[in-house]
Amino acid sequence: MNDESNRQALQEDLAQLPATDPQRRAAIVPMMQSLQAERGYLDDKSIKEVAQVTGLSTTEVEELATFYSLIYRYPAGRHVLRVCDSLCCGLRGADRLLQAAEKYSGVSLGKVSPDGAFSVLPSICLGLCDQAPAALLDGEAVGSLDEAALQALLQRLQQED
Amino acid sequence: MEAVLTRHLDAHAPLSLQAYQAAGGYHSLDAAFDHKPEEIIAIVEAANLRGRGGAGFSCGLKWRLRGADAPRPRYLVCNIDESEPGTFKDRHLLYGGPHQIIEAVIVSAYALQAEQVVIFVRGEYGKGGHGLKRAIEEAEKAGLVGSNIKGSGFNLQIKVHLSGGRYICGEETAMLNAIEGRRPNPRHKIPRPSVKGLWQHPTTINNVETLVNVPHILLNGADWFRALGINGGCGPKLFCVSGMVQHPGLFELPCGTPARELIFEHAGGLAAGRTLQGFIPGGASTAFLLPEHLDVPMDFDPVAKAGSRLGTAAIIVLDDTTCPVQATLNLMRFFARESCGFCTPCRDGLPYLAQILTAIADGEGRAEDLILMEELCNTIGPQSFCAFAPGAVMPLTSSLQCFRDHYESHIATGRCPFDAANKSGA
Repeated sequence: MNDESNRQALQEDLAQLPATDPQRRAAIVPMMQSLQAERGYLDDKSIKEVAQVTGLSTTEVEELATFYSLIYRYPAGRHVLRVCDSLCCGLRGADRLLQAAEKYSGVSLGKVSPDGAFSVLPSICLGLCDQAPAALLDGEAVGSLDEAALQALLQRLQQED
Repeated sequence: MEAVLTRHLDAHAPLSLQAYQAAGGYHSLDAAFDHKPEEIIAIVEAANLRGRGGAGFSCGLKWRLRGADAPRPRYLVCNIDESEPGTFKDRHLLYGGPHQIIEAVIVSAYALQAEQVVIFVRGEYGKGGHGLKRAIEEAEKAGLVGSNIKGSGFNLQIKVHLSGGRYICGEETAMLNAIEGRRPNPRHKIPRPSVKGLWQHPTTINNVETLVNVPHILLNGADWFRALGINGGCGPKLFCVSGMVQHPGLFELPCGTPARELIFEHAGGLAAGRTLQGFIPGGASTAFLLPEHLDVPMDFDPVAKAGSRLGTAAIIVLDDTTCPVQATLNLMRFFARESCGFCTPCRDGLPYLAQILTAIADGEGRAEDLILMEELCNTIGPQSFCAFAPGAVMPLTSSLQCFRDHYESHIATGRCPFDAANKSGA
């Protein structure tokens, strides 16, 4: 099942519930996740949609959308590279890796490359300390990275696009 | 020690339901349903299974204290929001063997007579979370989850909550808020979640590593479990070793294994010619220990006696090329960024500490900064709302004691001696 039909099923389930049912509020994170999977990020229209379905105010939705680090309120690239900058990766060269990621993707941290292909973000510990320095590329773990491996990875993605 | 918790883990091809059952999986359900719930709780308490999420509280005691007469509905929350720097044990459990987790929550929920389980998975482990959902569907189809499981009369629903991603969600009461769709600030500790937890119903929260021990304890007995530990520890323990070692990795060993054995035998020791400067024993929010502590058994009480915490049993190794000021700054930046912002000492205090540390690391520190940081640590920890800030200042407080000469030399010379060493070596 794709994310859109997942979301529609979730919305239909919620529509059956009374406005005050706590399950409506509890659906806020899954709703934001599936909208983001479809649209790449949550625009203002998405925030309103989530508010409508969950029965919350747009302010309450905004509060959570901006709280969570995996929810984006600004456009993100088609590929998102999250480079761990916590201690274990830091000890093994995360700083150099972040610089290399900016250099080879042509985009500064937190921005989208002009072709819309990439965003590079620093991340808290990804639980990949046994493969440090590590990153998540579109949710997939990539570990034991160095500048050359990172360059090859980004080049491959550019070619595939 | 023969592997117990990691025996069937395979992150590339986790066992299907059928293969897991053929390997002995889900046998503990029959054993569980042959026992009264309170008998299982007594066995777990006798095994002295202590919480693997960091606090080390007795799992059996936590379950007993919730009370057999707690009103329904009751919830069990399984915590897989692993985000503590240095810690990756739960990732191995999740990606490598989802059915082991499902078996564990069924048996644990039966002991607690809880009808609903929520498994909270950190957002960065999304692929693992999807694998777990598929495994739950498999188990539901086989009648292992749902109504009247194996004719026992016990009903159970298991849901997976994939987090939106913040470190604080791993704090148990913040996790309840996150599941309910509220801002994940920690809640007041009283009433306890066991009294008023999810949607104000009795809720028990355990780390996933704690829970996966339960089926083994039930099948093999409390004495077997206790005998697996050494140096006073009980049971098997998942240890993560990372940082400046040759072979970082996950090692399942007896609880109580000394740090020396973990670092120098299992993780391959340090690179040639390097010496150990210090290590963190239990993830980012625990105090640094020194080479003189290498023989401390990695168990809750001995590590506490040495001045730190076993925490998540995630050892991070610093060798003599690592600047301890830079390492401490990295930790403080992490905590400053991850503060939930709810209370002022934590929200404003941790960035202030990070700013002072940055100045020292950049060679712009002042002599009075060390005393100022000590005062701030002593204020921020006790005056903040939850356990986050005390954990955040613990590595700094210990770093100021263990590595004081390094701080003083940064301030006196206006430069980081490790920068020059690394540059000339590069």
